[in-house]
Formats: sequence, C-alpha cells, structure tokens
Amino acid sequence: MAIRELKVCLLGDTGVGKSSIVCRFVQDHFDHNISPTIGASFLTKTVPSGNELHKFLIWDTAGQERFHSLAPMYYRGSAAAVIVYDITKLDSFQTLKKWVKELKEHGPEDIVVAIAGNKNDLGDIREVPMKEAKEFAESIAAIFIETSARNAVNVEELFQKISKQIPPLENPEVDSNDSFKLTRQPAPSTRRCC
Amino acid sequence: MTNCLPALCSRCDQYSPPVLRFHFLASNLRLSNAVCFIYCCSPSTSPSSSSYIPSPVSASHSLFFQLIDTFALEIGELKKEMVQTSSSLCGGVGGERDSGYDSLWRRMSVLDRLTQTHPVWLLLAVSEEEASDVLLKQPPGVFLVRKSAALQRKVLSVRLREDQSGTPICHFAVRESQYTFSLEGSGISFADLFRLVAFYCISRDVLPFTLKLPEAIASATTRKELEEVAQLGAGFWDSALCSQRRSSPRPRRPLSRTLSPQRTNRNSEVEGSQQRHTGLHCDSAPPTLRSHAAPPSFHLERRHSSGPLCFLNPLFLQTHHHHHHREDEPPLRAVDEKHADEIKVNGKSRSPPPRPPPPRSMPRRRPAPPPPGPPPATTRPKSMPEAIPASAKPRYTSIKRPAPARPSMGAKQSSPSKTASPPIPVSSNPPPPRPKKPDLEAHRCHIALDDETIAKALSRAKLSPCQPPPAVPADALLENNAGSPSSPNERGRQRLSDMSMSTSSSDSLEYSQSPGFSLGLAPSPSRHLTHQDPVEDSSDDDEYGEEDEDEDYGVGLETDLEMRLRPSFKSRRQRVGVSLSGGSFILPRALKGRFRKVSGMLSSLVTPKRRVVKRITEVSRDKSSYFGSLVQDYISFVQENRGCHTSGIDFLQTLRQFMTQMKAYLRQSSELDPPIESLIPEDQIDQVLEKAMHKCVLKPLKSVIEAALHDFQVRDSGAWQQLRENLALAKAKKPQELGVDGAVPPDPVDIEKICHKFLNMRKMYSPEKKVSVLLRVCKLIYTIMQDNSGRMYGADDFLPMLTYVVAQCDMPQLDTEIQYMMELLDPSLLQGEGGYYLTSAYGAMALIKNFQEEQAARVLSSEARNTLHQWHRRRTTQRSVPSVDDFQNYLRVALQEAESGCTAKTLFVHPYTTTEEVCSLCAYRFKLPNPENYALFLVTEDTSQQLAPDTHPQLIKAELHSRPCTQTFHFLYKKVPNLNLCVPAVAHNGNCLQVE
Repeated sequence: MAIRELKVCLLGDTGVGKSSIVCRFVQDHFDHNISPTIGASFLTKTVPSGNELHKFLIWDTAGQERFHSLAPMYYRGSAAAVIVYDITKLDSFQTLKKWVKELKEHGPEDIVVAIAGNKNDLGDIREVPMKEAKEFAESIAAIFIETSARNAVNVEELFQKISKQIPPLENPEVDSNDSFKLTRQPAPSTRRCC
Repeated sequence: MTNCLPALCSRCDQYSPPVLRFHFLASNLRLSNAVCFIYCCSPSTSPSSSSYIPSPVSASHSLFFQLIDTFALEIGELKKEMVQTSSSLCGGVGGERDSGYDSLWRRMSVLDRLTQTHPVWLLLAVSEEEASDVLLKQPPGVFLVRKSAALQRKVLSVRLREDQSGTPICHFAVRESQYTFSLEGSGISFADLFRLVAFYCISRDVLPFTLKLPEAIASATTRKELEEVAQLGAGFWDSALCSQRRSSPRPRRPLSRTLSPQRTNRNSEVEGSQQRHTGLHCDSAPPTLRSHAAPPSFHLERRHSSGPLCFLNPLFLQTHHHHHHREDEPPLRAVDEKHADEIKVNGKSRSPPPRPPPPRSMPRRRPAPPPPGPPPATTRPKSMPEAIPASAKPRYTSIKRPAPARPSMGAKQSSPSKTASPPIPVSSNPPPPRPKKPDLEAHRCHIALDDETIAKALSRAKLSPCQPPPAVPADALLENNAGSPSSPNERGRQRLSDMSMSTSSSDSLEYSQSPGFSLGLAPSPSRHLTHQDPVEDSSDDDEYGEEDEDEDYGVGLETDLEMRLRPSFKSRRQRVGVSLSGGSFILPRALKGRFRKVSGMLSSLVTPKRRVVKRITEVSRDKSSYFGSLVQDYISFVQENRGCHTSGIDFLQTLRQFMTQMKAYLRQSSELDPPIESLIPEDQIDQVLEKAMHKCVLKPLKSVIEAALHDFQVRDSGAWQQLRENLALAKAKKPQELGVDGAVPPDPVDIEKICHKFLNMRKMYSPEKKVSVLLRVCKLIYTIMQDNSGRMYGADDFLPMLTYVVAQCDMPQLDTEIQYMMELLDPSLLQGEGGYYLTSAYGAMALIKNFQEEQAARVLSSEARNTLHQWHRRRTTQRSVPSVDDFQNYLRVALQEAESGCTAKTLFVHPYTTTEEVCSLCAYRFKLPNPENYALFLVTEDTSQQLAPDTHPQLIKAELHSRPCTQTFHFLYKKVPNLNLCVPAVAHNGNCLQVE
C-alpha cells in the first residue's frame, strides 16, 4: 500500500486541548511517552484508508494571540486543518470562527476543515451548544465532531472522517458527493477590472 | 565458522608492494564466510621466493574450498583491480593470452562480467512480455532484471527448464530493504544488484537452479569483447552474438590486440602452467596501464577501493586519481592501451567540452523517457555566463589535508612470538549449503595447486622486471590456515563479523611482521611511496574525516556498523594474527601504513550509499564529464558572482534550484554507470542524491555562502543591527513576557549547552545535518520542560519556550543559519519533523526580529509573511503532487483597451520576475502592436498605481494577500495616458504597497 503523507494543522485557542487530542490519537494515552518524535508539538500517525495508508503529519500551533501571525507557516500546504474549541468556553468558539475565515482567505484551496468541540466530558458547564456549532460547521461544509481527549471519545473518529475526505491520489479530480471542502470563495471583484 | 584465511608471502619490497585481495561477501550474508585472501608477491627481487610459499593444497576439491572459490569469483573489487591489471600486462606476460588454454577469460569474475554487461541484462524498462520474448529463445538459467509494472519493484526474470513447470519464465521479486537487495524469500541480501545476480550465478539458494550468463558473456575473453556485447544493450538478445554458440571449449581471442614480440616469445614457456594458474598474476604493471583497462562500468567499485589499492601502483595513482573518469568516454575505450595511457596522462591539460551523455534506460531499444527534470542544457541559471574564467578552479582539489594517523589498533597487542610461531591451521568451514552445478567449475577461478606451478611462476617472475610477479595460490593460502583451532565467537549477525574479521586480519598483518617493525617508522624513501602518499592520504582522509564526523546524517546503520566494527578489531586481532603469522611470512616495511587503509576500505564497503555519494562527488569534480563541468562551472560562477543576487534568499534559492535540477539530471543520466538503481534501493535514491549534492555543491561553497548571507544581512538597511538590538531586548525579557506559561525554562547551564550546539551547527554545510542539530536542541528543551513537570507539552508551551531560548542564546548568526536550512533543505523533508521545528525556529526568530514592532502592533512584519509565502510556494512546487498553491506562480493580468474593455490573461510569472518582464510578456500575449505605450498598473478599489519596471508583481501580490484584510486588487495592463514612462508612479515595492 502506498503511504501518503498528509500534513494536518491544528488550530485553536490556547488551552482548548489541541495537543491532548493529538496525543490521544497518536499514543492512545494521555501522558504516555512513547512518541518517536521529539516532542508533542509535532506528531505522526499512520492509519489505513481505503487502499492507501495515510500518514498524518500533525503540526500543532501555538494558540496565543501573539503567535497568530505565524499560523500561515503552519497551515500552508496542509491537507487538512483541525480547528479545536472548548465547549466550555464561548470565546474559543469565537476564535474558531476567525480561524475559519482566515483559512478561507489564505489557506490552501482544497484544505479539509474539521471542527472539534473538545472537553465533551464537561457537558455540565457547556457554553457552546452543540446545535449551534454543528450548524456553523454545516454552513461552511466542514466536518463536525465533539470530542473528549480525556476520555478518548471520538478522537479516532475525528481522524477517520478526515481520512475519508482526502481525495484518493489516483483520481484527484474526482469530487465525490460526500466530500465537503472549504473552498476559497471566488472573489468576483477580482475578476472584473473595470 | 568464521574463517579468516589470509596468507601472504614475503619478498615484497618497496618496489613491489603486495597486492591485497579481498573477497568480501556482500554484507548481511548469512553464510558468513568472509574470506580474505592476501597475495603478496615480488616481481623483481629475490630468487628464493618459492621457499616462502606455503605448501600447496591437497584437498583442493573439498567443498569448503569450492565455497571459498566461488566467493572468490563472486566478490571483490580488489580482485577486479588485479584482474584488470594482469589483463593489461600484455607487454610483460601477454604470452599467457596466447597460450593454448586461454586463461585470461577466467580471470574475469562473474561479477566483472555482470557489471560490464549490465546494459544487456539490466533492462528495467522492459515489460514482462518483452522479457518473455527474449528469454524464450534462451537456454534455461538465462535471466533479465527488469522492473515489474504490476509489482512496482524489480524482478529477476529467469528462463526455466521446459519440464519444470507450466511456465517457461519465472519472475522472482527483488526485495529492496533499506540498505540491501535480496530475492523474495531468501535470507541472503547483497549490497547491490550485481552482487545479487553474481551470487545466484553460483548458488541457487531460492531459485530452482543457478543463473546462467549468456554464452557470449560467459565466454568472453577480454574486456573488449564484453564491451562489444554491452554496447549492443538490449539489442544483444536479437544479435548474432547472442545466438552464437560456443563450438569449441576455447574462447575466441581478441583480434584487436597486437602481440608484442616479447609476448610471443614467452608463449611456449608459460603455456604449460597457464592452465591451472589463473587469476593470480600480480601486478607490477606500469601504473598507468591499470586504470585504462579497468571496466568502464565499474567505477563505483573500483574507485571506491582506490584508497587502499593505490599502494599497488603509486605512480598510477597520480594520474589515475584525477583522470579515471575519462574511461567511460567511448573514444578512450576504443583506443589501444598505450594510446589511452597517453591521453590519460595528458588529460588534465586537454579539456574538451563535455557533452551531455545520452540518458540511459534502454537507449538502444526504445526512446528514452523524458527526463524528469528540466533538460540538462537549461540547468544553469539564466544569468550564468557560459565561459568560465580559467582561474575558477574548484578549491577543494587543492585541499590536501594531512591525514591524521589512523589509530593503529594492533600496536599494543602485537606479539613478537607470532612471527616465530608455525602456521596454525584454522578450523575449516562446513561445506557450502548447496551443491554447485558442474558447469560452474569452468567459470571458477582455478588456482595453482602444486609446487611446480608455483615454481614456474616464480621463475617466470624473475625473467623480466615488468613481468607480473607470481601469486601465491589461494588454495595454498587457505591450506596454510585451514586447520587453525581458533574459532571465533559466534555472532548472531554475521554481517558484522564478516567485517571485523577481514579487517582485523589485515590489521594484524601489520603487526605480525618482524619485531624490528616500529610504528614510528618513516615511510620508505622509495619513489613509489613518496609519490603516492600525499595523494592517497588526502583523498582518503577527505572522505573519511567528514564521513565519520560530519556526513553521517544520523543514518543509523552505517554508523552503527562502523561503531560495532571498531571495537571488534581488538578482540579479534590477536587470534587472527596468530593464525596469520604463519611463521614464514615477513611483511616488508613497505606494507606499513598500507594496511591502515584496508580497514577504511572495508568499513566503507558496507555502505553502498557512501560509495554512490563518493562516486557522484568524484564525477562532480571531473570537468571532463558533463555533470562535473556543470557543477564546477556553477561553483566557479557562484564564487565570483555572488553579488548578482538581490537577497540572501534569492541566492539560496538559486542554489537549491541548481541542486534539484542536478538531482533530476543524475537520475536519468548515463554518466552514473552502473545506474544508481542497481546500487541503491529505490526509495533511497533521492536521499542519496541529495546527500551527494550537498557534498559536491554546498561543501565547496560553504564559506562563500556564509559570507554572502552575512553581507546581505549587513547591507540590508541595517537589518543586522536591528536584529542585534531586538535580540538584546528580547534577552532581557523574562520567560513570561515571551509567552511562557507555567513550564520551567532552561537554566543558564542549559542555555550554554544549547549555544554550543548552535555553534556546532554553524560549522556544518549540510542543511540536513544542521536540522538534526536543531532537533537535538528542541529535544533538549522538551526534556527540560518535561522533567520539571512530567507532562507533555504541545506548541502552546513549546513555541514560547523556543522563542525564549533563541533570545537567550543571543546569536544573530542563527538567523542566517535558519535561512540556510529553510532554503536548502530537501523540500521533501519540509513537511516532516525537521520542517516543523525549522518553521518554529523561523517563527521564533521572526518574533524576536520584530520584537519592538510586535510590542507596538503585535503583528508580524509583512516582510516576514512575504518570506513565508515564498517559502511555501517553493515547497509546494517541489512536491510530486501538484497543489493548487503551485498556481501562485501565476499572475492574472487584465488588458484594458478603450474600445474593447477588459480581457484578462493568466501569465506564468516567477516571484522575481520584474514588472518590465511582465510587461513584455503581456505585450506578447495580448499581441499588442505598440507595447511601448503600455504599462502595468496595480489597481485597487480607490487607487491606481503604475508599477516601476524593477518591481516584482508576484511579491506585491503576495504582500497584498498576506495582509490581515485583503483588499481587492488587480493588475492592469493599460495604455499610459501621458506616455511618460520614465516617471513611474511607484519607485519601489515598499512604496507601491501603501495603497490604502
């Protein structure tokens, strides 16, 4: 099987659990230090998908505002972006919307966007209604899933969904029906010029 | 089992250094018999040589010796050298060739024949059907190696016997592991395809029977004949040569050779002994003869061994060292030896403009596939002058570092008693696992078996000084040690013990000589030595010093092997030394120091990668090759014209582009012979080529690049000064002020350590190596963070910490280091871990650079963003799968005409294409009759600015795109209202960006 390397970028406010989700996905343990990579900011994991192997190269980003301007370096060339918010923090959901906007404007055109509402285990102090987040995701044709890195809920599923939406290599032209892509909206004004 | 069976005769003196001959079974051979033969001969001195020869073999037909024998056939670059030499000795011993039984042909090993004729059987592009067509006409055992489209790997297609199964042809998949080639299902793996095939010509292993060489190849008696066969390429199979059957046991003799009188005179004399005495004529050949006769197809092997081999012919080395590449030029192959010799000697002054050799991949049968990269002719940068100043000599050719003395492993343990002890036999091996086909006997090296032969050979040796010295028969050597009680400790992995065994044996040789021998011995004053040593040392050391310390790239196995190899010297030396010493052998002083090279040769034997890198590096220095001339011209150009670049990044990008193009060229070029696919597993080829590029391009240019980058930094409107100020400012900040939240920062001791690593990084020329240092630094930071908390940290914590560390290190030079890595690192690595941390380091540095600005506005400078855009564009264009971002190299320009309104076209515009160039492109694309009246404008919603001819539209576009809120903008190509073109509205990028 051919191994395909897929760069995946993690975006989201600091403290929403970006790293935890990936650590969970890669190591299937919260704090288990068996990563072949030197640290938790960059992790890899290979999963089978159809007749391919997808090797996710997961690029974590720093969520603090001051590092925001560096984000393009990280999401450029990504096959997928996982934007994480904390369901117990409304602010983090607002930040997510900013990321979506930025990706639309500057991200790779065919990037697969996944929205992950983390800390699903803290449902009792939820601030972001699932319905609202889901509707937002649908409006931008993004993957939506609520996860709990702590309890390992939906972490695998998140990446499986991403895997499915990566168009197979042999037929990059084929746009299957269930493929949702965030595409840069054509700016009509740029095409007209007088 | 491990038998080290070297033996030697003395009588070698300074004038005829001994020939070392190693038959080294490809690494990882489970049979684990590394056999080391050492032949020492003296052509011109003492008459009583025969007394030193060990007693001849009696049980020469034992299976064990058969095995040894086959190994001898199968492996051995030194052997090749020797064969070569002896075959080129036509002046002295040419008579042998005319003897009734032509022994010469058998001196060419199977491996020789295979490597020389690979265009015939190594047909990677052939389909299964074509292979079947070819093989069906062949007798059982004949084979091809091709690449199966279905399996996507190489397969060995073998003609089977009709009765064996339904299918007359069987395809055996070749498994390419990280370092070796093997047949699917077999446990024996080989360093390259040639060794693999050669092995299966001798032992069937997983095959139904052994492979068989086509008759024309198997029976060829001379290199020339093989060349003729090889030149047919795939066409061989349809040729008359192929269909011919050998009618008489005696192979044809070459017709093109002229026989010297001396040679014919000697015919009768030597005829009798020739039948059994083969392959063992040592070379006292005139040095220059050697190189010419070497098979053109075997540079890797041969060159690789030149370090240790050069002691054979010191004189030769002088010329050979610089000109051996010439051999693969067809005209030289054709000329007679003497002529070739002259050319070779004078080669340096003669510099015909090399022409690009044809691409390989079956040129004779089908058109070559289009080269993967741009055609070679376009590989020079546009601005590069065609003529290269004569002064532009590659600098490294003159660098002759003195060789640091290799550690002499044996010194401390040498036992004086060894020399006096009688030969101690070594316990013999178990018989070979598989019986050999009888017909293989014919292909095997026959070895002189009795005293008579040896005596004859020796007496012949005395006849003429230019005659080859007699050889000590291998069997005799073996016999000498056959019963030794010493049985080495077993190791699980044989590959290693093979190595250590051979190496240790050679080491111990050095110390098993007469007690008078001392380490401090000055080199012999002989002409040979003085000639040879500097050259040998410089080349050898050059390779060595860097490969050991600088060039490993952390490639695990290579290092691992060598590391394991070294300690093993000691443990085995003594034992082997005992078995070696054999009482009667006394090594001459001339040997001293030579054996040191042997260990070098052996350790490099295990790494085909290195051989390829080395080979490519050599070709790159040889201006008579097309590749070499490109590289050398480019290096000279860069050295003299570094000022022509607009920025450091521009400069580095040109370098990167050149390396990428050279890689593409090498992949399809026939200048690498044998083809790289036969030596390196396919998934490794790119990596090997990349490494070679670093070595032959970046290494000689390192200081130039460094200086140029610094110049740009300083010159660039005080960027250097600003960087220093900001670094100082950032250094004064507490971790918290840089965003560190919670995690414990490294203490000053750790910072010191990290600084040290960064300083080391600056000394390296390989971007990959530099990145690996960066990774070690990051790892250290992680370790410190985790040690203090026990939790894992993601980028939220790591990036601020890295920023803090970079600030604390306070190394402005780190900025150019990062630039160097970002621009020159193999693009395929940019998405991986190295790319991630490089990105992070760049980000950290960018934040610090804009520290003051950041404090004011908290935005990254547009310049930094611009760089990122550029970087990304480059990165994506290098990927195999085209991405949409590739289209960022396109620029959409609208033509505004008063009468017809707007028409837009998308133009291919490089980042550094100027407005002027875009304008002329527009004029062409829009087919304007009067382009001088038009100009390019940047139009936004409320502004319109004419772009100056020297601005870069793509950079402007990138800049505009990178703004937080992108304004709508277009590039408009329209008539200039007042025709005043010389007063552009915008002078510079910077100005034109103030559009809002």
